[in-house]
Amino acid sequence: MTPPEAIPRGLWLRKHAAIFRASLAERMTYRGDFLLGTILRFLPMLTTILLWRAVYEGSGQSQLSNFRYNEMIAYLLLVNISRMFSSMPGLAGGVAREVREGTIKRFLIQPMDLIGYLFLYRVAHKITYIITSFIPYALLFGVCAGYFDQMPGLGTFAAYLLSLVIAFLVGFFFEASVGMVGFWFLEVTSLLYIVMTLNFFVSGHLMPLDLLPEPWASLLRLLPFQYMAYFPAVVFLGKVTGLELLKGLLVGAGWAAAFIAISRLLYSRGVRRYSAFGG
Amino acid sequence: MGNLLGRSGRYLRMLRRLAVHTLSRELMFRGNFLVKVTVEVLWLAILLVFYKVVFARTNQLAGWDEPQYLFFVGCFFALNGLIEMLFLDNCNEFAELVRTGDLDGLLLKPVDEQFLITCRKFDWGCAPNVLMGAGVMALALYDMGWQVSLLRVGLFVLTFAGGVALAYSFMLMLTSVSVWMVRNQSLMEMWWLFSSLARYPREIFSGRLAEPIGMFFTFVLPILVVVNVPANVMVRALDPFMVGLVFASSAIALWVSRRFFLYALDSYRSASS
Repeated sequence: MTPPEAIPRGLWLRKHAAIFRASLAERMTYRGDFLLGTILRFLPMLTTILLWRAVYEGSGQSQLSNFRYNEMIAYLLLVNISRMFSSMPGLAGGVAREVREGTIKRFLIQPMDLIGYLFLYRVAHKITYIITSFIPYALLFGVCAGYFDQMPGLGTFAAYLLSLVIAFLVGFFFEASVGMVGFWFLEVTSLLYIVMTLNFFVSGHLMPLDLLPEPWASLLRLLPFQYMAYFPAVVFLGKVTGLELLKGLLVGAGWAAAFIAISRLLYSRGVRRYSAFGG
Repeated sequence: MGNLLGRSGRYLRMLRRLAVHTLSRELMFRGNFLVKVTVEVLWLAILLVFYKVVFARTNQLAGWDEPQYLFFVGCFFALNGLIEMLFLDNCNEFAELVRTGDLDGLLLKPVDEQFLITCRKFDWGCAPNVLMGAGVMALALYDMGWQVSLLRVGLFVLTFAGGVALAYSFMLMLTSVSVWMVRNQSLMEMWWLFSSLARYPREIFSGRLAEPIGMFFTFVLPILVVVNVPANVMVRALDPFMVGLVFASSAIALWVSRRFFLYALDSYRSASS
Protein backbone atom coordinates (compact mmCIF):
# COMPACT_ATOMS: atom_id res chain seq x y z
CA MET A 1 0.00 0.00 0.00
CA THR A 2 1.53 3.35 -1.04
CA PRO A 3 1.22 6.41 1.23
CA PRO A 4 -1.18 9.20 0.16
CA GLU A 5 0.41 11.80 -2.13
CA ALA A 6 1.24 15.29 -0.84
CA ILE A 7 -1.61 17.80 -1.24
CA PRO A 8 -1.53 21.64 -1.35
CA ARG A 9 -1.55 23.34 2.08
CA GLY A 10 -4.81 25.33 1.46
CA LEU A 11 -6.67 22.15 0.56
CA TRP A 12 -5.17 20.38 3.58
CA LEU A 13 -6.46 23.13 5.88
CA ARG A 14 -9.97 23.14 4.33
CA LYS A 15 -10.17 19.36 4.59
CA HIS A 16 -9.17 19.29 8.25
CA ALA A 17 -11.46 22.22 9.10
CA ALA A 18 -14.33 20.21 7.59
CA ILE A 19 -13.44 17.17 9.74
CA PHE A 20 -13.38 19.41 12.82
CA ARG A 21 -16.78 21.03 12.01
CA ALA A 22 -18.46 17.67 11.35
CA SER A 23 -17.14 16.21 14.62
CA LEU A 24 -18.32 19.30 16.51
CA ALA A 25 -21.85 19.00 15.06
CA GLU A 26 -21.98 15.26 15.82
CA ARG A 27 -21.09 15.85 19.43
CA MET A 28 -23.82 18.47 19.91
CA THR A 29 -26.55 16.11 18.61
CA TYR A 30 -26.90 14.25 21.90
CA ARG A 31 -26.74 17.25 24.27
CA GLY A 32 -29.60 16.10 26.58
CA ASP A 33 -27.88 12.80 27.21
CA PHE A 34 -24.58 14.59 27.58
CA LEU A 35 -25.99 16.92 30.24
CA LEU A 36 -27.45 14.00 32.22
CA GLY A 37 -24.07 12.27 32.04
CA THR A 38 -22.30 15.41 33.27
CA ILE A 39 -24.68 15.76 36.23
CA LEU A 40 -24.23 12.09 37.16
CA ARG A 41 -20.48 12.53 36.86
CA PHE A 42 -20.55 14.65 40.03
CA LEU A 43 -21.96 11.88 42.20
CA PRO A 44 -18.68 9.92 42.54
CA MET A 45 -16.99 13.22 43.41
CA LEU A 46 -19.49 13.83 46.18
CA THR A 47 -19.05 10.37 47.68
CA THR A 48 -15.27 10.64 47.34
CA ILE A 49 -15.19 13.94 49.26
CA LEU A 50 -17.33 12.46 52.03
CA LEU A 51 -15.31 9.25 52.16
CA TRP A 52 -11.99 11.07 52.54
CA ARG A 53 -13.48 13.33 55.19
CA ALA A 54 -14.41 10.17 57.12
CA VAL A 55 -10.87 8.79 56.59
CA TYR A 56 -9.22 11.95 57.95
CA GLU A 57 -11.65 12.12 60.87
CA GLY A 58 -11.03 8.44 61.64
CA SER A 59 -7.24 8.78 61.48
CA GLY A 60 -7.20 11.81 63.79
CA GLN A 61 -4.35 13.22 61.68
CA SER A 62 -4.31 16.44 59.72
CA GLN A 63 -1.93 15.13 57.09
CA LEU A 64 -1.72 11.80 55.23
CA SER A 65 1.40 11.24 53.09
CA ASN A 66 2.07 14.96 52.79
CA PHE A 67 -1.56 15.69 51.80
CA ARG A 68 -3.79 17.75 54.10
CA TYR A 69 -7.52 17.07 53.86
CA ASN A 70 -8.11 20.17 51.70
CA GLU A 71 -5.25 19.22 49.41
CA MET A 72 -6.60 15.69 49.08
CA ILE A 73 -10.01 16.94 47.94
CA ALA A 74 -8.42 19.53 45.66
CA TYR A 75 -6.30 16.71 44.19
CA LEU A 76 -9.35 14.51 43.58
CA LEU A 77 -11.13 17.43 41.89
CA LEU A 78 -8.11 18.17 39.77
CA VAL A 79 -7.68 14.60 38.51
CA ASN A 80 -11.09 15.02 36.92
CA ILE A 81 -9.67 17.87 34.88
CA SER A 82 -6.61 15.76 34.03
CA ARG A 83 -8.86 12.90 32.89
CA MET A 84 -11.00 15.34 30.91
CA PHE A 85 -7.90 15.85 28.78
CA SER A 86 -6.36 12.38 28.84
CA SER A 87 -9.31 9.97 28.63
CA MET A 88 -10.11 8.82 25.10
CA PRO A 89 -13.31 6.79 25.19
CA GLY A 90 -13.80 4.67 22.10
CA LEU A 91 -10.49 5.56 20.43
CA ALA A 92 -8.65 2.23 20.54
CA GLY A 93 -11.85 0.21 20.04
CA GLY A 94 -12.72 2.45 17.06
CA VAL A 95 -9.36 1.87 15.37
CA ALA A 96 -9.63 -1.89 15.87
CA ARG A 97 -13.18 -1.81 14.43
CA GLU A 98 -12.00 0.09 11.33
CA VAL A 99 -9.43 -2.67 10.78
CA ARG A 100 -11.80 -5.55 11.52
CA GLU A 101 -14.66 -4.27 9.38
CA GLY A 102 -12.39 -3.08 6.60
CA THR A 103 -13.59 0.55 6.70
CA ILE A 104 -9.99 1.58 7.28
CA LYS A 105 -9.46 1.31 3.53
CA ARG A 106 -11.00 4.77 3.06
CA PHE A 107 -7.88 6.13 4.76
CA LEU A 108 -5.66 4.07 2.52
CA ILE A 109 -7.20 5.08 -0.79
CA GLN A 110 -7.96 8.73 0.02
CA PRO A 111 -5.35 11.41 0.75
CA MET A 112 -6.20 11.37 4.44
CA ASP A 113 -4.07 10.18 7.33
CA LEU A 114 -5.88 7.99 9.89
CA ILE A 115 -3.98 9.26 12.94
CA GLY A 116 -4.32 12.90 11.80
CA TYR A 117 -8.06 12.43 11.27
CA LEU A 118 -8.56 10.79 14.66
CA PHE A 119 -6.47 13.46 16.34
CA LEU A 120 -8.62 16.31 14.98
CA TYR A 121 -11.80 14.37 15.66
CA ARG A 122 -10.70 13.99 19.28
CA VAL A 123 -9.64 17.65 19.60
CA ALA A 124 -13.14 18.67 18.42
CA HIS A 125 -14.76 16.30 20.91
CA LYS A 126 -12.59 17.55 23.73
CA ILE A 127 -13.39 21.18 22.92
CA THR A 128 -17.16 20.54 22.91
CA TYR A 129 -16.82 18.51 26.08
CA ILE A 130 -14.90 21.28 27.82
CA ILE A 131 -17.35 23.97 26.59
CA THR A 132 -20.51 22.04 27.54
CA SER A 133 -19.16 20.93 30.89
CA PHE A 134 -17.76 24.37 31.71
CA ILE A 135 -20.86 25.49 33.63
CA PRO A 136 -21.27 22.32 35.76
CA TYR A 137 -17.53 22.17 36.44
CA ALA A 138 -17.38 25.89 37.26
CA LEU A 139 -20.26 25.27 39.64
CA LEU A 140 -18.48 22.31 41.24
CA PHE A 141 -15.19 24.17 41.59
CA GLY A 142 -17.08 27.21 42.87
CA VAL A 143 -18.78 25.14 45.57
CA CYS A 144 -15.48 23.45 46.40
CA ALA A 145 -13.37 26.63 46.19
CA GLY A 146 -12.75 26.40 49.95
CA TYR A 147 -10.63 23.26 49.37
CA PHE A 148 -8.11 25.28 47.36
CA ASP A 149 -6.00 26.99 50.00
CA GLN A 150 -4.13 29.06 47.44
CA MET A 151 -4.20 29.55 43.71
CA PRO A 152 -1.01 28.79 41.78
CA GLY A 153 1.21 31.60 40.54
CA LEU A 154 1.43 32.47 36.86
CA GLY A 155 4.47 30.25 36.29
CA THR A 156 2.91 27.25 38.01
CA PHE A 157 -0.35 27.79 36.11
CA ALA A 158 1.53 27.89 32.80
CA ALA A 159 3.27 24.63 33.78
CA TYR A 160 -0.14 23.18 34.69
CA LEU A 161 -1.58 24.05 31.27
CA LEU A 162 1.46 22.47 29.65
CA SER A 163 0.98 19.33 31.76
CA LEU A 164 -2.64 19.13 30.55
CA VAL A 165 -1.47 19.28 26.94
CA ILE A 166 0.98 16.48 27.77
CA ALA A 167 -1.89 14.56 29.42
CA PHE A 168 -3.90 14.86 26.20
CA LEU A 169 -0.98 13.82 23.99
CA VAL A 170 0.06 10.87 26.17
CA GLY A 171 -3.58 9.76 26.52
CA PHE A 172 -4.33 10.04 22.80
CA PHE A 173 -1.19 8.43 21.41
CA PHE A 174 -1.10 5.72 24.08
CA GLU A 175 -4.63 4.65 23.26
CA ALA A 176 -4.06 5.01 19.52
CA SER A 177 -1.09 2.64 19.94
CA VAL A 178 -3.30 0.14 21.76
CA GLY A 179 -5.84 0.45 18.93
CA MET A 180 -3.14 -0.29 16.32
CA VAL A 181 -2.65 -3.68 17.95
CA GLY A 182 -5.95 -4.42 16.16
CA PHE A 183 -3.96 -4.97 12.95
CA TRP A 184 -2.54 -8.11 14.56
CA PHE A 185 -5.30 -9.29 16.90
CA LEU A 186 -8.49 -7.77 15.34
CA GLU A 187 -10.27 -7.72 18.69
CA VAL A 188 -8.65 -5.43 21.26
CA THR A 189 -11.68 -4.65 23.43
CA SER A 190 -10.69 -7.23 26.02
CA LEU A 191 -7.11 -6.01 26.17
CA LEU A 192 -8.43 -2.47 26.41
CA TYR A 193 -10.63 -3.31 29.40
CA ILE A 194 -7.61 -4.64 31.29
CA VAL A 195 -5.44 -1.65 30.33
CA MET A 196 -8.13 0.88 31.30
CA THR A 197 -8.86 -0.83 34.60
CA LEU A 198 -5.19 -0.77 35.53
CA ASN A 199 -4.86 2.78 34.26
CA PHE A 200 -7.54 3.99 36.69
CA PHE A 201 -5.28 2.90 39.52
CA VAL A 202 -1.75 3.46 38.23
CA SER A 203 -2.50 6.94 36.82
CA GLY A 204 -3.40 8.18 40.31
CA HIS A 205 -7.06 8.70 39.43
CA LEU A 206 -8.27 6.77 42.47
CA MET A 207 -5.90 8.41 44.98
CA PRO A 208 -2.53 10.20 45.02
CA LEU A 209 0.29 7.77 44.25
CA ASP A 210 2.10 9.09 47.38
CA LEU A 211 -0.34 7.17 49.58
CA LEU A 212 0.92 3.83 48.33
CA PRO A 213 3.71 2.13 50.27
CA GLU A 214 7.22 2.08 48.83
CA PRO A 215 8.50 0.88 46.39
CA TRP A 216 5.11 1.04 44.62
CA ALA A 217 4.73 4.82 44.83
CA SER A 218 8.18 5.48 43.28
CA LEU A 219 7.71 2.72 40.72
CA LEU A 220 4.38 4.11 39.49
CA ARG A 221 5.88 7.59 39.23
CA LEU A 222 8.37 6.19 36.70
CA LEU A 223 5.58 5.07 34.34
CA PRO A 224 3.89 7.27 31.70
CA PHE A 225 0.42 6.74 33.19
CA GLN A 226 0.98 9.28 35.97
CA TYR A 227 0.89 12.00 33.29
CA MET A 228 -2.77 11.18 32.59
CA ALA A 229 -4.02 12.11 36.08
CA TYR A 230 -1.49 12.47 38.91
CA PHE A 231 1.13 14.78 37.44
CA PRO A 232 -1.06 17.74 36.32
CA ALA A 233 -2.86 17.70 39.69
CA VAL A 234 0.31 17.82 41.79
CA VAL A 235 1.73 20.54 39.52
CA PHE A 236 -1.37 22.68 40.20
CA LEU A 237 -1.07 22.06 43.94
CA GLY A 238 2.55 23.21 43.87
CA LYS A 239 3.88 19.86 45.09
CA VAL A 240 6.34 19.66 42.20
CA THR A 241 8.45 22.76 41.75
CA GLY A 242 11.74 24.05 40.32
CA LEU A 243 14.00 21.58 38.61
CA GLU A 244 11.78 18.67 39.53
CA LEU A 245 8.90 20.32 37.67
CA LEU A 246 11.04 20.98 34.61
CA LYS A 247 12.27 17.40 34.66
CA GLY A 248 8.71 16.12 35.01
CA LEU A 249 7.51 18.17 32.03
CA LEU A 250 10.43 17.06 29.89
CA VAL A 251 9.94 13.39 30.77
CA GLY A 252 6.18 13.77 30.07
CA ALA A 253 6.91 15.34 26.68
CA GLY A 254 9.35 12.47 26.07
CA TRP A 255 6.65 9.91 26.79
CA ALA A 256 4.26 11.74 24.45
CA ALA A 257 6.92 11.72 21.71
CA ALA A 258 7.58 8.03 22.36
CA PHE A 259 3.88 7.16 21.98
CA ILE A 260 3.61 9.29 18.82
CA ALA A 261 6.51 7.28 17.38
CA ILE A 262 5.06 3.95 18.56
CA SER A 263 1.60 4.67 17.11
CA ARG A 264 3.13 5.78 13.78
CA LEU A 265 5.36 2.74 13.64
CA LEU A 266 2.54 0.34 14.48
CA TYR A 267 0.29 2.03 11.90
CA SER A 268 2.81 1.78 9.08
CA ARG A 269 3.66 -1.83 9.99
CA GLY A 270 -0.05 -2.64 10.38
CA VAL A 271 -0.98 -1.16 6.99
CA ARG A 272 1.70 -3.29 5.35
CA ARG A 273 0.21 -6.35 7.01
CA TYR A 274 -3.43 -5.40 6.38
CA SER A 275 -5.43 -7.22 3.74
CA ALA A 276 -9.09 -6.71 2.83
CA PHE A 277 -11.36 -8.93 0.79
CA GLY A 278 -14.63 -8.23 -0.96
CA GLY A 279 -16.14 -4.96 -2.19
CA MET B 1 -54.04 -17.88 40.97
CA GLY B 2 -53.45 -20.95 38.82
CA ASN B 3 -53.00 -18.70 35.82
CA LEU B 4 -50.41 -16.60 37.68
CA LEU B 5 -48.48 -19.71 38.75
CA GLY B 6 -48.60 -21.01 35.19
CA ARG B 7 -47.26 -17.72 33.86
CA SER B 8 -44.49 -17.66 36.49
CA GLY B 9 -43.53 -21.24 35.65
CA ARG B 10 -43.38 -20.39 31.97
CA TYR B 11 -41.15 -17.37 32.60
CA LEU B 12 -38.87 -19.36 34.92
CA ARG B 13 -38.49 -22.04 32.23
CA MET B 14 -37.71 -19.33 29.69
CA LEU B 15 -35.15 -17.78 32.05
CA ARG B 16 -33.46 -21.15 32.54
CA ARG B 17 -33.28 -21.73 28.77
CA LEU B 18 -31.91 -18.24 28.16
CA ALA B 19 -29.29 -18.85 30.86
CA VAL B 20 -28.22 -22.14 29.28
CA HIS B 21 -28.22 -20.62 25.80
CA THR B 22 -26.06 -17.64 26.80
CA LEU B 23 -23.71 -19.94 28.73
CA SER B 24 -23.15 -22.09 25.65
CA ARG B 25 -22.52 -18.93 23.61
CA GLU B 26 -20.09 -17.66 26.26
CA LEU B 27 -18.20 -20.96 26.22
CA MET B 28 -17.63 -20.57 22.48
CA PHE B 29 -15.46 -17.55 23.28
CA ARG B 30 -13.50 -18.84 26.27
CA GLY B 31 -10.65 -16.35 25.79
CA ASN B 32 -13.07 -13.45 26.03
CA PHE B 33 -14.63 -14.98 29.13
CA LEU B 34 -11.20 -15.29 30.77
CA VAL B 35 -10.39 -11.65 29.99
CA LYS B 36 -13.70 -10.50 31.51
CA VAL B 37 -12.96 -12.46 34.67
CA THR B 38 -9.42 -11.00 34.75
CA VAL B 39 -10.85 -7.47 34.61
CA GLU B 40 -13.20 -8.23 37.50
CA VAL B 41 -10.36 -9.74 39.55
CA LEU B 42 -8.37 -6.57 38.89
CA TRP B 43 -11.29 -4.42 40.07
CA LEU B 44 -11.59 -6.38 43.25
CA ALA B 45 -7.83 -6.15 43.77
CA ILE B 46 -7.99 -2.34 43.30
CA LEU B 47 -10.88 -2.11 45.79
CA LEU B 48 -8.95 -4.18 48.32
CA VAL B 49 -5.71 -2.22 47.84
CA PHE B 50 -7.65 1.01 48.37
CA TYR B 51 -9.27 -0.44 51.47
CA LYS B 52 -5.86 -1.56 52.80
CA VAL B 53 -4.34 1.89 52.15
CA VAL B 54 -7.19 3.56 54.02
CA PHE B 55 -7.10 1.20 57.00
CA ALA B 56 -3.31 1.53 57.25
CA ARG B 57 -4.07 5.09 58.43
CA THR B 58 -7.23 4.69 60.45
CA ASN B 59 -8.89 1.94 62.45
CA GLN B 60 -12.46 2.99 61.66
CA LEU B 61 -14.28 4.65 58.81
CA ALA B 62 -17.56 6.42 59.60
CA GLY B 63 -18.08 4.00 62.47
CA TRP B 64 -17.22 0.84 60.46
CA ASP B 65 -14.15 -1.05 61.69
CA GLU B 66 -11.82 -2.89 59.31
CA PRO B 67 -13.54 -6.31 59.10
CA GLN B 68 -16.99 -4.69 58.96
CA TYR B 69 -15.88 -2.48 56.09
CA LEU B 70 -14.33 -5.49 54.36
CA PHE B 71 -17.71 -7.20 54.61
CA PHE B 72 -19.32 -4.10 53.08
CA VAL B 73 -16.84 -4.23 50.16
CA GLY B 74 -17.65 -7.92 49.57
CA CYS B 75 -21.39 -7.27 49.77
CA PHE B 76 -21.15 -4.44 47.24
CA PHE B 77 -19.03 -6.55 44.90
CA ALA B 78 -21.42 -9.52 45.03
CA LEU B 79 -24.58 -7.43 44.63
CA ASN B 80 -23.14 -5.35 41.82
CA GLY B 81 -21.86 -8.53 40.16
CA LEU B 82 -25.33 -10.04 40.24
CA ILE B 83 -26.88 -6.89 38.73
CA GLU B 84 -24.25 -6.80 36.01
CA MET B 85 -24.63 -10.49 35.30
CA LEU B 86 -28.42 -10.42 34.99
CA PHE B 87 -29.39 -6.99 33.68
CA LEU B 88 -26.65 -4.51 32.80
CA ASP B 89 -25.75 -5.85 29.34
CA ASN B 90 -29.42 -6.17 28.40
CA CYS B 91 -30.29 -2.66 29.54
CA ASN B 92 -27.17 -1.30 27.89
CA GLU B 93 -28.35 -2.61 24.50
CA PHE B 94 -31.77 -0.99 24.82
CA ALA B 95 -30.60 2.40 23.51
CA GLU B 96 -29.20 0.75 20.40
CA LEU B 97 -32.46 -1.18 19.89
CA VAL B 98 -34.35 2.13 20.03
CA ARG B 99 -31.90 3.99 17.79
CA THR B 100 -31.88 1.32 15.07
CA GLY B 101 -35.55 0.37 15.37
CA ASP B 102 -34.64 -3.25 16.15
CA LEU B 103 -36.88 -2.97 19.20
CA ASP B 104 -39.86 -3.61 16.88
CA GLY B 105 -38.87 -7.28 16.54
CA LEU B 106 -38.83 -7.78 20.31
CA LEU B 107 -42.15 -5.98 20.84
CA LEU B 108 -43.85 -8.35 18.40
CA LYS B 109 -42.94 -11.44 20.42
CA PRO B 110 -45.62 -12.96 22.68
CA VAL B 111 -43.53 -12.37 25.80
CA ASP B 112 -43.60 -9.57 28.38
CA GLU B 113 -41.56 -6.65 26.95
CA GLN B 114 -39.81 -5.86 30.23
CA PHE B 115 -38.77 -9.48 30.68
CA LEU B 116 -37.49 -9.80 27.13
CA ILE B 117 -35.59 -6.51 27.14
CA THR B 118 -33.99 -6.75 30.59
CA CYS B 119 -33.47 -10.51 31.06
CA ARG B 120 -32.76 -12.04 27.66
CA LYS B 121 -29.02 -12.47 28.14
CA PHE B 122 -26.89 -13.55 31.09
CA ASP B 123 -23.43 -12.03 31.28
CA TRP B 124 -21.67 -15.07 32.67
CA GLY B 125 -18.38 -13.16 32.78
CA CYS B 126 -19.74 -11.36 35.87
CA ALA B 127 -20.82 -14.57 37.64
CA PRO B 128 -17.44 -15.00 39.39
CA ASN B 129 -17.97 -11.55 40.96
CA VAL B 130 -20.79 -12.97 43.04
CA LEU B 131 -18.49 -15.75 44.24
CA MET B 132 -15.56 -13.40 44.82
CA GLY B 133 -17.81 -11.02 46.77
CA ALA B 134 -19.09 -13.95 48.83
CA GLY B 135 -15.47 -14.98 49.45
CA VAL B 136 -14.57 -11.51 50.72
CA MET B 137 -17.66 -11.48 52.96
CA ALA B 138 -16.73 -14.90 54.37
CA LEU B 139 -13.17 -13.70 55.02
CA ALA B 140 -14.49 -10.62 56.83
CA LEU B 141 -16.82 -12.74 59.00
CA TYR B 142 -13.91 -15.02 59.85
CA ASP B 143 -11.71 -12.00 60.69
CA MET B 144 -14.25 -10.59 63.13
CA GLY B 145 -15.02 -13.97 64.74
CA TRP B 146 -18.68 -13.69 63.73
CA GLN B 147 -21.16 -15.76 65.75
CA VAL B 148 -23.64 -17.62 63.51
CA SER B 149 -27.15 -16.17 63.74
CA LEU B 150 -29.83 -17.71 61.53
CA LEU B 151 -32.04 -14.64 61.96
CA ARG B 152 -29.29 -12.39 60.62
CA VAL B 153 -28.49 -14.77 57.74
CA GLY B 154 -32.18 -14.97 56.79
CA LEU B 155 -32.63 -11.19 56.93
CA PHE B 156 -29.38 -10.71 55.03
CA VAL B 157 -30.63 -12.92 52.16
CA LEU B 158 -33.97 -11.08 52.07
CA THR B 159 -32.52 -7.56 52.24
CA PHE B 160 -29.87 -8.54 49.67
CA ALA B 161 -32.70 -9.61 47.34
CA GLY B 162 -34.48 -6.32 48.15
CA GLY B 163 -31.28 -4.44 47.28
CA VAL B 164 -31.06 -6.26 43.93
CA ALA B 165 -34.72 -5.38 43.21
CA LEU B 166 -34.08 -1.71 44.06
CA ALA B 167 -30.95 -1.51 41.94
CA TYR B 168 -32.78 -3.23 39.06
CA SER B 169 -35.63 -0.71 39.29
CA PHE B 170 -33.24 2.26 39.14
CA MET B 171 -31.43 0.71 36.20
CA LEU B 172 -34.73 0.12 34.38
CA MET B 173 -35.73 3.76 34.85
CA LEU B 174 -32.33 4.97 33.62
CA THR B 175 -32.70 2.62 30.64
CA SER B 176 -36.21 3.85 29.81
CA VAL B 177 -34.94 7.41 29.41
CA SER B 178 -33.18 6.20 26.21
CA VAL B 179 -36.51 6.27 24.37
CA TRP B 180 -36.50 10.07 24.51
CA MET B 181 -32.79 10.78 24.58
CA VAL B 182 -31.63 8.28 21.94
CA ARG B 183 -28.61 7.79 24.12
CA ASN B 184 -25.10 8.37 22.91
CA GLN B 185 -23.19 7.63 26.09
CA SER B 186 -23.40 4.09 27.36
CA LEU B 187 -25.79 3.15 30.10
CA MET B 188 -22.88 1.22 31.58
CA GLU B 189 -21.10 4.48 32.34
CA MET B 190 -24.30 6.16 33.62
CA TRP B 191 -24.97 3.21 35.87
CA TRP B 192 -21.42 3.20 37.19
CA LEU B 193 -21.76 6.88 38.08
CA PHE B 194 -25.17 6.53 39.73
CA SER B 195 -24.29 3.35 41.62
CA SER B 196 -21.23 5.08 43.10
CA LEU B 197 -23.67 6.24 45.77
CA ALA B 198 -24.15 2.64 46.92
CA ARG B 199 -20.42 1.95 47.10
CA TYR B 200 -19.74 3.47 50.53
CA PRO B 201 -21.30 3.37 54.01
CA ARG B 202 -24.32 5.65 54.45
CA GLU B 203 -22.75 7.15 57.57
CA ILE B 204 -20.28 9.19 55.46
CA PHE B 205 -23.26 11.45 54.64
CA SER B 206 -22.94 13.45 57.84
CA GLY B 207 -22.78 17.17 58.48
CA ARG B 208 -24.99 20.13 57.64
CA LEU B 209 -24.81 19.82 53.85
CA ALA B 210 -24.30 16.09 53.37
CA GLU B 211 -27.03 14.90 55.73
CA PRO B 212 -29.97 16.15 53.62
CA ILE B 213 -28.37 14.53 50.55
CA GLY B 214 -28.02 11.28 52.49
CA MET B 215 -31.68 11.53 53.55
CA PHE B 216 -32.76 12.14 49.94
CA PHE B 217 -30.88 9.07 48.68
CA THR B 218 -32.21 6.99 51.58
CA PHE B 219 -35.91 7.88 51.59
CA VAL B 220 -36.70 9.44 48.19
CA LEU B 221 -34.33 7.68 45.77
CA PRO B 222 -33.17 4.94 48.15
CA ILE B 223 -29.97 3.89 46.35
CA LEU B 224 -28.02 4.27 49.62
CA VAL B 225 -29.86 1.39 51.30
CA VAL B 226 -29.08 -1.12 48.52
CA VAL B 227 -25.81 -2.38 50.05
CA ASN B 228 -25.87 -0.60 53.41
CA VAL B 229 -28.86 -2.42 54.87
CA PRO B 230 -27.83 -6.03 54.03
CA ALA B 231 -24.27 -5.32 55.25
CA ASN B 232 -25.58 -3.68 58.44
CA VAL B 233 -28.01 -6.54 59.11
CA MET B 234 -25.18 -9.05 59.01
CA VAL B 235 -22.31 -7.35 60.85
CA ARG B 236 -23.67 -4.31 62.69
CA ALA B 237 -26.80 -3.23 64.52
CA LEU B 238 -30.03 -4.82 63.29
CA ASP B 239 -32.41 -1.93 62.62
CA PRO B 240 -35.97 -3.22 61.92
CA PHE B 241 -37.00 0.16 60.47
CA MET B 242 -34.26 0.03 57.81
CA VAL B 243 -35.10 -3.60 57.00
CA GLY B 244 -38.74 -2.58 56.53
CA LEU B 245 -37.63 0.36 54.42
CA VAL B 246 -35.79 -1.97 52.02
CA PHE B 247 -38.84 -4.21 51.60
CA ALA B 248 -41.28 -1.31 51.14
CA SER B 249 -39.05 0.75 48.86
CA SER B 250 -38.12 -2.22 46.66
CA ALA B 251 -41.81 -3.08 46.14
CA ILE B 252 -42.65 0.55 45.31
CA ALA B 253 -39.59 0.95 43.07
CA LEU B 254 -40.44 -2.22 41.12
CA TRP B 255 -43.98 -0.94 40.51
CA VAL B 256 -42.92 2.63 39.62
CA SER B 257 -40.12 1.48 37.31
CA ARG B 258 -42.49 -0.86 35.44
CA ARG B 259 -45.05 1.94 34.95
CA PHE B 260 -42.27 4.26 33.79
CA PHE B 261 -40.89 1.63 31.40
CA LEU B 262 -44.35 1.00 29.86
CA TYR B 263 -44.90 4.75 29.56
CA ALA B 264 -41.53 5.05 27.78
CA LEU B 265 -42.50 2.23 25.40
CA ASP B 266 -45.74 4.09 24.61
CA SER B 267 -43.61 7.01 23.46
CA TYR B 268 -41.44 4.79 21.26
CA ARG B 269 -41.67 5.51 17.55
CA SER B 270 -40.02 2.92 15.35
CA ALA B 271 -36.92 4.08 13.51
CA SER B 272 -36.96 1.25 11.00
CA SER B 273 -38.49 1.42 7.55
